[in-house]
Amino acid sequence: MSDVRGKSRFGIGASLPRKEDARHMLGRGQFVADVKLPGTEDVAFVRSPHAHARIKRIAVPPGAEDAVYAARDLPRMKAMRAVPQVQGFKPSDYPPLATDKVRFAGEAIAACIAPTRAEAEDIANAVTVEYEVLPPIVDAASAVSGAASLLHEPWGDNLFIERTMKGGDIDAAARDAAVVVRRDYRLNRQAGVPLEGRAVLAYRDHRLDELVVYSSTQVPHTIRLGLSETLGIEERRIRVIAPDVGGGFGIKARLSPEEVVLAALALERDHPVRWIEDRSEHLMTAIHTRDHLYRITAYADSRGRILGIDAELVVDAGAYALWPNGPFLETGMAARNLPGPYDIAGWRVKTFTVATNKSPIGPYRGVGRPGACFALERTIDEVARAVGRDPLEVRIENMVRPEQMPFTTIAGMVFDNGDYRESARRCADLIDLAAIRARQRRGEPDGRLVGIGFAAYAEQTGHGCGEWVMRGSPFIPGYESCTARLMSDGSLALMVGIQSHGQGLETTLAQVAHEVLGIDPARIAVRHGDTSLSPFGMGTLASRSMVMAGGAVTRASRLLQEKILKIGAHLLQCDPADVRCAAGMVVGPGSSVSIDEIARVAHLRMEALPEGVDPLLDVTATYEPELDTGVFSYATQAAVVAVDPRTGLIELLDFAVVEDCGTVVNPMIVDGQIRGGVVQGIGNALYEELIYDAQGQPQVVTLADYLMPGAAELPAIKIGHLYTPTPYTEFGVKGMGEGGAIAPPAAIGNAVRDALAAIGAEVNETPMTPRRVMAAIRRARKSAPGAG
Amino acid sequence: MKIGLQLNGRSVADDVPPRLNLADFLRERRNLTGTHLGCEHGVCGACTVLVDGAPTRSCLALAVACDGRAVQTIEGLEHDPIVAVLRDAFHQHHGLQCGYCTPAMLITARDLVTRNRAGSEREIRDGLAGNICRCTGYTNIVTAILHAAATLGAKAGSP
Repeated sequence: MSDVRGKSRFGIGASLPRKEDARHMLGRGQFVADVKLPGTEDVAFVRSPHAHARIKRIAVPPGAEDAVYAARDLPRMKAMRAVPQVQGFKPSDYPPLATDKVRFAGEAIAACIAPTRAEAEDIANAVTVEYEVLPPIVDAASAVSGAASLLHEPWGDNLFIERTMKGGDIDAAARDAAVVVRRDYRLNRQAGVPLEGRAVLAYRDHRLDELVVYSSTQVPHTIRLGLSETLGIEERRIRVIAPDVGGGFGIKARLSPEEVVLAALALERDHPVRWIEDRSEHLMTAIHTRDHLYRITAYADSRGRILGIDAELVVDAGAYALWPNGPFLETGMAARNLPGPYDIAGWRVKTFTVATNKSPIGPYRGVGRPGACFALERTIDEVARAVGRDPLEVRIENMVRPEQMPFTTIAGMVFDNGDYRESARRCADLIDLAAIRARQRRGEPDGRLVGIGFAAYAEQTGHGCGEWVMRGSPFIPGYESCTARLMSDGSLALMVGIQSHGQGLETTLAQVAHEVLGIDPARIAVRHGDTSLSPFGMGTLASRSMVMAGGAVTRASRLLQEKILKIGAHLLQCDPADVRCAAGMVVGPGSSVSIDEIARVAHLRMEALPEGVDPLLDVTATYEPELDTGVFSYATQAAVVAVDPRTGLIELLDFAVVEDCGTVVNPMIVDGQIRGGVVQGIGNALYEELIYDAQGQPQVVTLADYLMPGAAELPAIKIGHLYTPTPYTEFGVKGMGEGGAIAPPAAIGNAVRDALAAIGAEVNETPMTPRRVMAAIRRARKSAPGAG
Repeated sequence: MKIGLQLNGRSVADDVPPRLNLADFLRERRNLTGTHLGCEHGVCGACTVLVDGAPTRSCLALAVACDGRAVQTIEGLEHDPIVAVLRDAFHQHHGLQCGYCTPAMLITARDLVTRNRAGSEREIRDGLAGNICRCTGYTNIVTAILHAAATLGAKAGSP
């Protein structure tokens, strides 16, 4: 284990302030809604007020015939159809505008166009749609065993897929167990809520015979592919641009129906069209997430060593499978991460991925794992209580040990390296466990109850080809790409297929190139988010960008370096073996030449090039990590809470993270990602919930109903690091963008349990609202011995 | 309706529909796109501008209600000495990620600093209650404002 911080001022390990900050702080960032094109008109959608209904008739108000487009008016649009290569998965057709049926409240039915959004909404409000209302499917768990109606009639039921995953001998675990713990856990439905919602601006560029689509997306290249498929246009005629993107977190990593509709409208109209999602549309119709129900049986020995986990998992997947992956990605990730960072011998998960009349689920920071972590980590605490031991000790004893690495879990995850136990011990130090225990003994003057809880995870990142093939992904994001172009003045442009939307990749990828070439990051431009600029890339998701795009930048920089050294040696009249790159120079035995001069020669003075060396310094490289099962970051998180047993209100007093993501490129940015993830996880734990009534009507449609963490109710998040570079990636980096969001529900859940230990109450459902806490306290008091 | 206002120090006149809100007026009619819309119902704070010097949700204010008033947006604060110190602090302490909430965060932070409400972490956190940031988890924003307030305090204290 080595500390790899701060080796150089600009390169890997330096907390270099970000290149992207200046424009945003001056209000000169450019988000989709900021792009001004002459003649642009706004789009507002007619959306279904019903969760489940047949469309009988759409009536357009007189005079608005040219401004309203239903599915029949845009015949070139095909349904979005995700076909993952997963046996038994039932695909669904998701028409960008509803055709015969609507399957969730908010589903788009028609697009209305006017010079301003307000006028477009006026038209949308005047369109009348006649419906035959159908019984909605709202509760996923009850829909497993038969339902009043079918979302997709040909299926015969409402299950995208039912699948059991298992490893080891769960029956042996049951036989040998001294302790059996059974619990139900629920993570309720959430939205992603990047502060910039989705946004699309589309127009035809007649000069280039091109459809240009600006979209607030994390995956411009795959959106181009999706538009090509759904609209039947060659990819060469589509350009997708993701300018500044105001957060994504996974929510912008799938093809949206609105992207298809706006692109189709741009082909019909002779002016640009744009749609800027409003927040109610976001909460009702953008990607939903979580909504897992677990029934867990854990088998353990008398010391709390876990022998096996037997589980049922129901995921409420919403109405459609999103292109290109569909919802089993969520279910499969949750099931396969259920053993967590632990050495557990038996594992079985029976999963149900259920179609309901709600907006479809898709990726959101953590994907699947926050649920798995909540279910497992809460269970470990209950096992510890059942055997009368400290949860942290039991947790540490169950963890995979460093000498077992590389370690294949019972669910087939291959941990590459790291000391999971040390992260738990250091986290206990960082949060000062001893001081909290002392405080608990003293008690609180205000009658509140203080508790502390821990949770750990291992996060699979930067996984390559084999892993994605195994998951049945239709496209394999097992690589990334970079074109590195040294200009004639020695400044450098890196064109990358990923997309940065807050992660600071314009800075960190420049740091990586600097590490290889020695060029000052101030002279390096990172260009991303434009299909016409960069080679194909899969985009920013799955905590993959630094491993994959960092790797591609490294490869491309090394290719450039090879040629630079060859030209440099020729100019210095020495052997290429005797020169090296340093601080923007090629240094030989007796003299040196600047990369700027070499760049000038390569472009403008080809007579000075060595024989057999072509002009230009312009290379394209792809990168796939050596290990395609992924490299695992890991962490232990700890929460301290004060629970008011009279009101159920939880105050988060402290929160700490000790994590290891291998080599850190920019420590300041890594800490920023951890804190941001943790706070989203705190929202998951305490505040955020999309509620539906029995008719499938969304009850949460504004930010006044959808509560997110604000500065006032949060403590400062403490962070500690371990540094275990992985041997399988360039420079030993691991991905880490999602990890922070995985464990807070579990850590806080365990802290609440600890606080309420004397009452015997536990809260096994998120968000842990005052109402749920009070219900748990009342249940515990009612069932306590002597109650009555 | 005809309106006239001081916008970033200049007189501006326009004829606007009564229902046009200030944010759309700034963004669509004046091309001042540094004012961002995050919810359009007054919760997230991303559209905060100064109206007669006071932080105001431009998504909830009607343009016609700003007739005769002075409006300042992030673009108009480029040379403001307090915002300059705040920008430097946000940059050094990584107080922004995607940048969408940032202009309004700077305007709110400026207000906290000028009203002497940025003296402690608690004070700053309470003062930021009306501005949502989805990326940073706030820690670095709070740190940046604390540092900026200290820098400005030292400047004000020196003769």
